[in-house]
Amino acid sequence: MNNALPGFQQYQLQFTGHIRDPRGNPRPPKVPAKRMQVYTEIVFNNLQSSVSACFPVAKKVLGARAWKKLIRGFFMHHQCHGPLFRQIPEEFLSYLETAQDYSEQTLPPYLKSLAHYEWIELALAVADVSIDMVAVEVEGSLLEGSPVLAPALALLSYNYPVQLISPRFKPKAPLTQPVHLLVFRDAADDVQFIEINQVTARLLAILQTETVTGRQALEKIAAEMAHPDPKVIIQFGQSVLEDLKAQGVILGVQLK
Amino acid sequence: MAQLNEISGAGLGLKRELIPQLQKAFGKDSIAAIDFLEIAPENWIGAGGRAAKQLAWFTERYPIAAHGLSLSLGGPDPLNEVFLQQVKTFLERHQISLYTEHLSYCSDGGYLYDLLPIPFTEEAVHYVARRIRQTQDILERRIAVENASYYVAAPVSEMDELTFLRAVLEEADCDLHLDINNVYVNSVNFGFDPQEFLRGLPSERIVYSHIAGHYQEAPDMIIDTHGQDVIDPVWSMLEEAYRFYGVFPTLLERDINIPPLRKLMREVNIIAGLQAPYFSNQRPKRAATG
Repeated sequence: MNNALPGFQQYQLQFTGHIRDPRGNPRPPKVPAKRMQVYTEIVFNNLQSSVSACFPVAKKVLGARAWKKLIRGFFMHHQCHGPLFRQIPEEFLSYLETAQDYSEQTLPPYLKSLAHYEWIELALAVADVSIDMVAVEVEGSLLEGSPVLAPALALLSYNYPVQLISPRFKPKAPLTQPVHLLVFRDAADDVQFIEINQVTARLLAILQTETVTGRQALEKIAAEMAHPDPKVIIQFGQSVLEDLKAQGVILGVQLK
Repeated sequence: MAQLNEISGAGLGLKRELIPQLQKAFGKDSIAAIDFLEIAPENWIGAGGRAAKQLAWFTERYPIAAHGLSLSLGGPDPLNEVFLQQVKTFLERHQISLYTEHLSYCSDGGYLYDLLPIPFTEEAVHYVARRIRQTQDILERRIAVENASYYVAAPVSEMDELTFLRAVLEEADCDLHLDINNVYVNSVNFGFDPQEFLRGLPSERIVYSHIAGHYQEAPDMIIDTHGQDVIDPVWSMLEEAYRFYGVFPTLLERDINIPPLRKLMREVNIIAGLQAPYFSNQRPKRAATG
């Protein structure tokens, strides 16, 4: 306790110290146990609800008791710096990076990946990004123009098949090849998940980071693969681009 | 129609669960008593996608009041100025004229995302008043602070709640967001006379009020859940407050166990009905139903 602080602040810190860790930190002197308990319960339960709402699968896979312990660890050991309630899940993700250090239980190796996969849906649903469709030629050639991607979009690779994990399927070991997922917010503001192959993932990564035409992106991939016949890649790639357009991942091409 | 940035009459908290119902009923008699809506800026700042479109839909149609949660006016950490700048931009962008916060704290080096009681001490009065002034300086506007509900009386307190509240308002020179239900809740939890508390308030500072239901756990213990219907003694206090201080905009808070909109409207209509005599020369309001 910092004795340089005014008395009321020392009391406040004792009060919250007890709320965060009722077993480890005594409540402030002369505070009735029953009244104090209202706070220890309400504050923890509210935090638990906020976290659980974003991670229903992780909660189920861990089971109620282990989940509660994990949230208690989060409350005790992690300082949340985001004032917005929707930042709580992100704060929890960052706690998961070190959660094992604080936990007596062994956390599943896939937990961080699974939690990230669950969080990305919320993150993209509210991502504050939009695109001015005036600058997009919706019917333009995807090969000769520069494809424009949905603005709220993430390309993800996981070492566990996160999209399949459930209480009945808890992977014992990582995948030999990572699973690639494309997650994006569609025109109706719903978040969509698509499992994609490595080449499509590479194509989208190029389109996301560079201003190139569809053809240039595919030529680059053919070169990276040292493919003997780049035309095959371009032909294959064209159908992939059209497919992505039909699904709403690609909105059109940049207006020249 | 009133100006879109003018908060008056009866209001309802804009909960996500209610959005589709409100959009569907807009313009109909059944929700005519809703003069304004209230949001927590923490739920909407920086949100794009569907949320941004929904917010735009409502700000085009209703005056909006902002009731904050995370400022931690009584907290030990420095005021979060980055966040305050975000609030400022948000209020300006959506032309929100009223911003209120709780007379409580919610951080201790990190956020706890709940409202905790400030001990009623002399030092705390100066500390909180200084932070309210700082907030008003950054936002370049007056704010209103709300009397909070609480369950633990700090043994280090040096004065009662009313003395503390009055001292903070005076020293900060800010407005009062009067939560009628919180006065009632605290009066039961700490055994004081709620009418006396009401009458002791600085009337010239009251700009806004809340009314809500709560959960009575024991005869001497109420939890401020905002999850039940408003009880009669609390309605009487609102009526009494209007009689005593004149009418002020009043919002129905309902945060959990949210019933269908038509059921909530019964309570919004009661607010409008209690306000009606004060508006009689200006515009017709729907009659009270309760």
